[in-house]
Amino acid sequence: MSISVETANAHKNDPAVLCCRAEEGTIIEVHNLEDPAIFDDLVDSNLLNLDGALTIGQVLGAKLIKTCDSLTPLTAAVLEGFKASADEEAPKAEEAAPAAAPAVQAQVPMAQFNGGVLKIHIGEGKDIDIELPLVNAGFPSAGGVNAPLQTVNVQQQEAAPVVKNVTKGSFDRKHFNITEVKRGPETKIEGTTLYIREGIEADAVASQDLVVDLKIDIITPDRYNEYSETIMDVQPIAVKESGEIGSGVTRVIDGVIIMVTGTDENGVQIGEFGSSEGILEENIMWNRPGAPDKGEIFIKTNVTIKAHTNMERPGPLAAHSATDLITQEIRDALKGLDESLVTNTEHFEHVRHYGKKKVVIVKEIMGQGAMHDNIILPQEPVGIIGGKPNVDLGNVPVTVSPLEVMDGCIHALTCIGPASKETSRHYWREPLVLECLQDEEIDLCGVVFVGSPQINSEKFYVSKRVGMTVEAMDAEGAFVTTEGFGNNHIDFASHIEQIGMRGISVVGMTFSAVQGALVVGNKYMTHMVDNNKSEAGIENEVLSCNTLCKEDAVRAIAMLKSAMAGESVKTAEKKWNPNVKASNVEAVEEVNGEKLELVLNEQSLPMSQKRKEKYN
Amino acid sequence: MNQIKILLKQHIGAPCAPVVAVGDKVKKGTLLAQPTGLGANIFSSVFGEVAEITENHVVINADEVQPDEYEMISGETNLELVKNAGIVGMGGAGFPTAVKLNTDLNGGYILINAAECEPGLLHNIHQLETQTDKTVRGVKYCMEISNAAKAIFAIKAKNEKAVKAVKEAIKNEENMSVFLMPDIYPMGEERAVVRECLGILLEPTQLPSAAGAVVINAETVLRVAEAIEDKKPCFSKNVTVTGKVNNPSVFTDVPVGTSVSTLIDMAGGLADGVIGEIVVGGPFTGKSVADVNDPITKTTGGIIPTIEFPDLHGANIGILVCACGGSEARMREICEKMNAKVCSVQKCKQAQEIKGALKCENPGNCPGQAQKCIAMKKDGAEYIIIGNCSDCSNTVMGSAPKMGLKIFHQTDHLMRSIKHPLYRKLRVSKKIEQ
Repeated sequence: MSISVETANAHKNDPAVLCCRAEEGTIIEVHNLEDPAIFDDLVDSNLLNLDGALTIGQVLGAKLIKTCDSLTPLTAAVLEGFKASADEEAPKAEEAAPAAAPAVQAQVPMAQFNGGVLKIHIGEGKDIDIELPLVNAGFPSAGGVNAPLQTVNVQQQEAAPVVKNVTKGSFDRKHFNITEVKRGPETKIEGTTLYIREGIEADAVASQDLVVDLKIDIITPDRYNEYSETIMDVQPIAVKESGEIGSGVTRVIDGVIIMVTGTDENGVQIGEFGSSEGILEENIMWNRPGAPDKGEIFIKTNVTIKAHTNMERPGPLAAHSATDLITQEIRDALKGLDESLVTNTEHFEHVRHYGKKKVVIVKEIMGQGAMHDNIILPQEPVGIIGGKPNVDLGNVPVTVSPLEVMDGCIHALTCIGPASKETSRHYWREPLVLECLQDEEIDLCGVVFVGSPQINSEKFYVSKRVGMTVEAMDAEGAFVTTEGFGNNHIDFASHIEQIGMRGISVVGMTFSAVQGALVVGNKYMTHMVDNNKSEAGIENEVLSCNTLCKEDAVRAIAMLKSAMAGESVKTAEKKWNPNVKASNVEAVEEVNGEKLELVLNEQSLPMSQKRKEKYN
Repeated sequence: MNQIKILLKQHIGAPCAPVVAVGDKVKKGTLLAQPTGLGANIFSSVFGEVAEITENHVVINADEVQPDEYEMISGETNLELVKNAGIVGMGGAGFPTAVKLNTDLNGGYILINAAECEPGLLHNIHQLETQTDKTVRGVKYCMEISNAAKAIFAIKAKNEKAVKAVKEAIKNEENMSVFLMPDIYPMGEERAVVRECLGILLEPTQLPSAAGAVVINAETVLRVAEAIEDKKPCFSKNVTVTGKVNNPSVFTDVPVGTSVSTLIDMAGGLADGVIGEIVVGGPFTGKSVADVNDPITKTTGGIIPTIEFPDLHGANIGILVCACGGSEARMREICEKMNAKVCSVQKCKQAQEIKGALKCENPGNCPGQAQKCIAMKKDGAEYIIIGNCSDCSNTVMGSAPKMGLKIFHQTDHLMRSIKHPLYRKLRVSKKIEQ
């Protein structure tokens, strides 16, 4: 059916197809064009061939030089005066659609419940640079994080006199730079050189019954082209100098991360739904919140666990525990370092904005059933000791402060698909929590972690607790995020339902796109953000490629604000359409008045043999 | 003895109240009933005696001898004559003409709707060819009454003889012109006439007056001239009888109240073979007649007996309802007659419900139908039936057959009966060289 100016604007990069017969001499307007939402159906059934079709942005205003029938794709052969690119037309389209600005966030995506299948379609970014942490810095500079938080305290909200800003807590992150990692007789740090005790591998193996072998590789950038077994986790090396997690002072090493990799005795990768073994630089999406930053040194453990324990909880836990024995020695060395070696200090504050809309972040942890764990609230940042596995806690919701999240309260053992799993480092740099902490238009009250039990009845048991928890908080809005796809989407959908049915606005965030299209849905799943970044919308087995990034957090926040303001969000298209994300990002940029740099995707990496096969 | 049944509601508005009693002798032109609200006078169309009066109609036993004379109306002004004559829009809408013309167009347009776009109907064009001068005079009266400066005849270019006759008749009239229309449906929709002639697309809720115009059917114009020049009340109607009759004909000045069966007899009777239904009105907007003894009214344009319906043996059918064709009820009726099971009902994107009736946002210009076809297919349709205009039918043909849907148009059985091409692919341009 013919489309509106708004639809044309949102789909300016999609193919232009006549909805009806148009005669020679017709100047193409939006009402001549078919809605791209139905193209997939038509192409699927061979009713439409979009080869050579110009985009909607290109054809508007062009002149038809030949009478064409309905469903004819508009190509250069039948038009004159079309534009070379859709962007050329963008400003004009906005003029033609004055409604575009207020409707900005209403354009943000979208889910569709269609005959029992809910599909989500949002886009991805490519060929744009990165805004996440600096190379060789564990985190954005102190100024970047501090400034806005401090501004919050001084800034008076003109329109909302009832707003009261109360600082609920804070902690400092002191950064120590390491430029070289060597082996030596004892684990120690001298200046910017980290020494790891020779023979520590044997102690690590001995500490765990299920671990049969452990090797340490020091991967410097010149060794990025070497083979590795699947990457189970990426972890910051951090230790509490004072206080508990989420308070006091934390020390962290910049320039070096811990990477846990491994197989079982039969060489089976410790992972599920894909694994990232292969040449490191072909399988790591650099600079994602959960991935290594390009240029960092990896202390990579290659752990071999007993045969057939790779798909049960104790196997991966043993691999992590053995590695943590090594990390703990480094933590001890870091803790004793002289204060003069601190390169910079970040200050994290949790400021409640009472009077603003209260929101909560619900993070579903562990994607696929219950075979792998997350350790909640260990003694040391991203440690193991002292923490409780969420499976042992019955997967029920556990509420933590945003500062606890930023201070490493989650040690992630998740071994689902590499591209969408949230590693320990992801939580340490969690973009949604960070963005919410810095947004003075909302009142972030806390973060709820909820596990994903294997059995459906248990899934609904915990999702009901999520609903009650969020209701008891008197939250007006909630984000629900998840990692992985498939089975965990049952919980994901149920969390959203339990929150939504209580009249609380809710935005869902997940990898979805093509391969992760939702298998379940309900009427509350109207506000969805797709974390996909991959070119083809798939689990590409590149570490962290499709995880939640700043660009997703910003869109989700914009969407939740819209939802809480009672604005509607357009229904998703039937199939994944990357352009939807692009136009939403544009809309958000327009409202926020600042350019949102999109992260790169796997196309920026050398092509692995595995990916070649996947993409052909 | 011939009985004539005259309905008390032949117009938009409330039924009229009878002013005669059973047993009264009446002549042609004797006032039978008067409006109680919006409406128009109703007259006897025959000499005879009132035999029955009900809420809905007056029955008159017609005399054997029917002289040509009639009771004349009187009135101080031309508008009063039009009003007293009980003229209503004869294109089918039945809006009281005196109410329509009682406006100050302040130099605007009278648009004479001679599109006669319901296929098969010929009486408007016949009138333009045979009563050209009187029709042109009627236009002048309408222009005077409503203070219009210009008049445009909207005629399909294919009616060359009528176009020539009108052009000849108005060659010295500076303020009158002819606008040639393409042979597609629905050029005669009121807002389509305004759009084509004046280039202004009205909202479905707007009247032509919003474009400074009055759209008036060609026959209505003629009746205006009759009322003013001949003081003749409105009691006769031009009717096309076509389809499965032996002698398809145009009948002029048929007494209102004449039965459908009488008219079919006048056209030589039903042709041999099974009759599917008898449609009163045009193929797109007409209705199946319930009883052949039903009378014609001031708005009856066509009587079309049709060939029999195909039997779909209970197959699933999807209905695409639009403003240009029959209502959903009419479409369902046809499906039932074809022995098909309705599994999906879709409505054209442009069909807007205004005061209980569907109106098209942009008549004759398709908004795309592929989604509707996909929806009907998904609902399990094997066949679909459409009532769309030429352009939308063309669009449906662009996708539905490729999806494996078999297509009926609501007018197929009528088109076959009048030997007119079926509404499928559009093969003519929507634009005409003037």
